[in-house]
Amino acid sequence: MSEENIINDDNIARAHDLLASLENGDEQGAREVIDDLAKIRENNLYQEVGKLTRELHDAISAFSMDDRIADIAEHDIPDARQRLNYVITRTEDAADRTLTAVEKSIPLCEDMERRAGSVLNDWKSFTQREMDVEGFRKMSSEMDGFLSDQSGGFVELKSHLNNILMAQDFQDLTGQIIKRVINLVAEVEGNLVNLIKLAGLPDHVEPHKREKVKLEGPAVPGVDSGDTVSGQDEVDDLLSSLGF
Amino acid sequence: MDKNMRILIVDDFSTMRRIIKNLLRDLGFTNTQEADDGLTALPMLQTGKFDFLVTDWNMPGMQGIDLLKAVRADEKLSSLPVLMVTAEQKKEQIVEAAQAGVNGYIVKPFTAQTLEEKLVKIFERLQG
Repeated sequence: MSEENIINDDNIARAHDLLASLENGDEQGAREVIDDLAKIRENNLYQEVGKLTRELHDAISAFSMDDRIADIAEHDIPDARQRLNYVITRTEDAADRTLTAVEKSIPLCEDMERRAGSVLNDWKSFTQREMDVEGFRKMSSEMDGFLSDQSGGFVELKSHLNNILMAQDFQDLTGQIIKRVINLVAEVEGNLVNLIKLAGLPDHVEPHKREKVKLEGPAVPGVDSGDTVSGQDEVDDLLSSLGF
Repeated sequence: MDKNMRILIVDDFSTMRRIIKNLLRDLGFTNTQEADDGLTALPMLQTGKFDFLVTDWNMPGMQGIDLLKAVRADEKLSSLPVLMVTAEQKKEQIVEAAQAGVNGYIVKPFTAQTLEEKLVKIFERLQG
């Protein structure tokens, strides 16, 4: 707290007055001088509080005018919300496609397993010479059908497995999106820390450094527009316009 | 198209490398190797006699675009066909890749059919 120099002629005169009043038993006069001195102190205190209030106000104004913070609130947070919703859509879709493929594959496997077991049983009784001619005819026809169905069944099974494989591509895209949101959260955290510092140290507010992100990452439908292509067809069009 | 050609797949996500590897195998290309970014890929390319490069763009260490530029700047590698498979969809980035000499550009998410089309197209053009 900066105080004015209290050694001055006025105060020396007041001190003399006070001493004189006390020695002369002038209670009224002594009280008046003490009140005067108290007022001087009070005035200093009010001025100091006023100065601090003004500094705090200026610092808060400077802080809230930092572009990056406004940008985060207006753009980045809603953008992150949409990107996270896209993560949900993609992962849901992947789970759905995987489950569909598995649900179609299981009956195929069960059918092949059942028919293989039946043919194996027949084959065993044939090798143990327990089969008559009629039984052999039945087995041959069953084996024929089983083997020809099986090759088609494996083609179908393989296509389901490929669908399951392709459904895993969500992990790459969602991983990238979530990483970006994590970076944003870290940035918000940094700003909150600055705010806390500001409350304690109003003179030391540093403007936030804005980092350039060169790579945009996966485009999200409904979020990205303008300079962004919306799919492979647009990439092909753009490249062919460049002579590709 | 030689089905035995050696292909290097570069992506920082192992899931995506596996997808591309399996798709290529389904198309008959079984001679594939993997790298997780440009820094790992470049020495492999310089010593490994690869015939084809499939690379992501956004990777830690060395980005795909820088790998492409390094390949084009290397006397021995400069004619290596490069297919970029990436989530980067900004027009200026696609233009940048084209100017750097990419042979094909696929945006994620993509289909098995797109990959096959681009491969066929790249090799048709190289032979033609």
